[in-house]
Amino acid sequence: MPSAFQLQCHLVLIFLAASKGETRYLEVRDAGEDDPFLLLSEDLKRELSAGQIYRRSLRCIDMLSIEGQFTFTADQPQLHCATFFIGEPEELITIHYDFVNIDCHGGDFLKVFDGWILKGEKFPSSLDHPLTTSQRYVDFCESGNIQRTIRSSQNVAMIFFKIQVPGNGFTVTVKKSSNLFPCNVISQTPSGRFTMVIPHQHRNCSFSIIYPVVIKISDLILGHLNGLFLKKPSASCAGVGDFVELLGGAGLDPSKMFPLADLCHSFHGSAQMKIGCDNTVLRMVSSGKHINRVTFEYHQLDLQETETRKENSIEEFCFPSI
Amino acid sequence: MKIPLLVSTGILLVALLPCQECRALSKSPAPAPGALHQPDFFQQQQRQQQQQQTLPVLLRMGEEYFLRLGNLHKRPVGSFSSSSSSTSHLQPEASASNFFRAAVQQLQQLPERSLGNREDGEAEGEAVEREKRSEEPPISLDLTFHLLREVLEMARAEQLAQQAHSNRKLMEIIGK
Repeated sequence: MPSAFQLQCHLVLIFLAASKGETRYLEVRDAGEDDPFLLLSEDLKRELSAGQIYRRSLRCIDMLSIEGQFTFTADQPQLHCATFFIGEPEELITIHYDFVNIDCHGGDFLKVFDGWILKGEKFPSSLDHPLTTSQRYVDFCESGNIQRTIRSSQNVAMIFFKIQVPGNGFTVTVKKSSNLFPCNVISQTPSGRFTMVIPHQHRNCSFSIIYPVVIKISDLILGHLNGLFLKKPSASCAGVGDFVELLGGAGLDPSKMFPLADLCHSFHGSAQMKIGCDNTVLRMVSSGKHINRVTFEYHQLDLQETETRKENSIEEFCFPSI
Repeated sequence: MKIPLLVSTGILLVALLPCQECRALSKSPAPAPGALHQPDFFQQQQRQQQQQQTLPVLLRMGEEYFLRLGNLHKRPVGSFSSSSSSTSHLQPEASASNFFRAAVQQLQQLPERSLGNREDGEAEGEAVEREKRSEEPPISLDLTFHLLREVLEMARAEQLAQQAHSNRKLMEIIGK
C-alpha cells in the first residue's frame, strides 16, 4: 500500500526533522508579553507614537538605557566626558549623529566605542570581540562624513567626547534593535535570570554583573545529543572544548579576572555560588561543534548572606566591596 | 683603600648615568591629547619613554585626588541645572564631577604636547603620527564601580519613569 507507506515515511521524516531542529532553543513569547502596543489598533498606535520621541540634554558623565534624542551643549570647556549606553541583554545599541558642532582641528573629539572601557579594561575583552581595539573606536573627526550611524555588537556602548569651546556640542539619536543570540552582555540590574545560547558558533560569550551576587546555574547543556552517542564525562575540564567558567574580579575585562569555577559537563539542577567581587562574569567557551546553553539566575549578595552558609554553596570568593 | 674607591666610583656612576625614572621627576611631558586614563603601561613595552615617565605621576595624582575629594557633596556649578533627578542622586554625580575637575586641573598643569611636530616629508610624518596614535593607549574613563552603579541606577530609574509615562498615556488613550 504505497499511500500508507508514503504517509509513514512522511511521519518519520517529520519526526526526525523535529527532533534535530534547532528552533526548539528559541523562546517564542506571547504578543502581549513585552509589547502591549501589538494588541492595539493602528489608529491607537499612531496616536500613542505621535511625539513619543524622548528628548533630554546630556551631562558630562551620563548613562542612557532608553531610546531617544540626546543633546550635549558645552557651557564651559569639557575635556573628559563620556556617555554610557546600555540596553536589555537581547538588544543592540544604534547611535546616529543628528548634529555635530565640534572643532576637530582644535583638538575636540567625539568617539564611539563598541563596548565599555573603564580604567583601560574593556568589555567585551579583546579575546571575545571580533574587532581589534582600534577598530572598536569610531572617531567622528576621521569618519563622521562617511559613518554617521554606528551599531554596537552587544548591549553596551559608549561615547567619549572633548569639547573646548562653550556653545559647541552634538545631538545623537539612540535606537535599539534586537539580537537573537546575545553573546556579550552587561546586566542592567543586580538580579535577574538569563539563558545564554551559542548555536554552532566558535566564539566565547560573557555575561557580566557589576555587583556582588549569588549566582545559581540551573541548567547547563554542553554539546548536542545526537542519537545514542553521549560524551563520556572526563575527570576535569582540561582538553574539553566547550565549558562554562565563573570569573570574579575588580575590573571590567573578563580576561583579567580570576577563574572561580569551571563547568564542563551538562547537568540539570542547581549549582550555586556566592561571589563577593565587584564584577561577576559567567563565560561560555564554545568550539562551534555543538549547541551550548546555560540558564542561570542571580541576585545581589547581601552582607547578612555572607554569614549564613546554605547547602549547595560552593564557596565564597572576594570580600564584600562595601 | 680599594673598597672606598670602588664605593665612591659606584656612587658616581649611579649619580651620573642617564636614569629614565629620575628624568620623570624633573620633566613631565604632556599626555596624548584626549587621554583620560593610561592603562597599565608596564604591560606595553612599545610605549615611548616619555609617556612611560608621565603615567605614574598622572595615576598617582589622580588616585590621590579621588581619595581626598570622593566624599565631597558640593554641587558643581552649572552642570546639572537641567537634571530632574533628586538631590540624593546628584551627590555621586557631584563626586564624579569633582573628581574629573580635579583630574582635569592636574592634567592642565602639564605642558601641552604639540600636535604639529612633523618630520621631513609629510607622508613620512603622517605615517609616524599614525603609528604613534596606534601605539597610544586607548581612551578610557577613570570611574569606580561604585559611581558606575550610581549612574546605572539613575538610568534605570529614568527608564522606569519613561515606561510609567507611556503606560499612563496608554491608559488615557484606552479610556477615551
